[in-house]
Amino acid sequence: MLNVDNIWVVYVAGVEIWITETILNTWIIMLFLIGLAVIARIKFKSFQEIPRGFQNAIEVVVEIFDNFAVSTIGPTLSYLAPWFFAVFALILFSALSSIFGLRAPTADWATTFALALATFGLMVAMGLKYRRGAYLKTYIDPHWIFFPMNLIGELAKPVALSFRLYGNMLSGTIILTLYYALTPRFVQIGIPAFLHAFFDVLFGALQTYIFVIISLMFIRLAADDNW
Amino acid sequence: MENLGIVIGLVHIAAAIALLNGVFTTFGQARVASQAIESMARQPEAADSIRSAMFIGLAFAETSGIYGLLIAIIMLFANPLVNTLINLIS
Repeated sequence: MLNVDNIWVVYVAGVEIWITETILNTWIIMLFLIGLAVIARIKFKSFQEIPRGFQNAIEVVVEIFDNFAVSTIGPTLSYLAPWFFAVFALILFSALSSIFGLRAPTADWATTFALALATFGLMVAMGLKYRRGAYLKTYIDPHWIFFPMNLIGELAKPVALSFRLYGNMLSGTIILTLYYALTPRFVQIGIPAFLHAFFDVLFGALQTYIFVIISLMFIRLAADDNW
Repeated sequence: MENLGIVIGLVHIAAAIALLNGVFTTFGQARVASQAIESMARQPEAADSIRSAMFIGLAFAETSGIYGLLIAIIMLFANPLVNTLINLIS
């Protein structure tokens, strides 16, 4: 489980495309999340004024995340909250998927860098949309001589963001793989549950929260004048 | 073959040195947590905002530790030098 396995190779117009374990596991998680979303959409028609049961659970989750996101990113950018809800759900469920023996997709740098790149794109786009010249001026902030340093500092943001999540998830994966490989069979019942609880559930939830809140902070830092 | 042994041995020492920055990371994180707890005890009504600020600070302090961990992992499991040496020998 240390390296990402290649499951099969697809040829599209003469170009090799590798379907790796990460992509397959992402598809499984996507299928689960899309199924959940479709069920929620179907049930949405029978939603009532006073929530009960399933509706209650969905409203609680959405409301808590919405309050958290809006309080972090500010009311003008609150329309970005759904995207970050999707990111939150994907990262959380991919961390939880390693309980079921799948290799967590976030333990592959490709996944986390894609998510961090989306944050970077949103950051630049929102900065240009809301502050225009003032945002570009932050790149040459005290003087234009500082442009290379500011550029490196800006480009380090998605790299650091993706490495943080990737390193945490990968370390959990490596420790659990070593535990399963090196211990005799009779201690592999029951005890790994604590390791999974610590590395997957606790660290996964914490790193998901940190990834989302730091992404929101970066975007607000770029888009908000007086922050 | 001897060269390969020396390279692998040095790689393990280098990985251990790369992981040593965890010492400083831990001290920094301990400082963040202790200050946060102190201010929480002084101002219990602000505990929620202090807690979220503490997690952000912990995450930023963790970055250098994660870099060290990744460098150690790359040196141990995906070291290009070892593969080059194996190709040279065979």
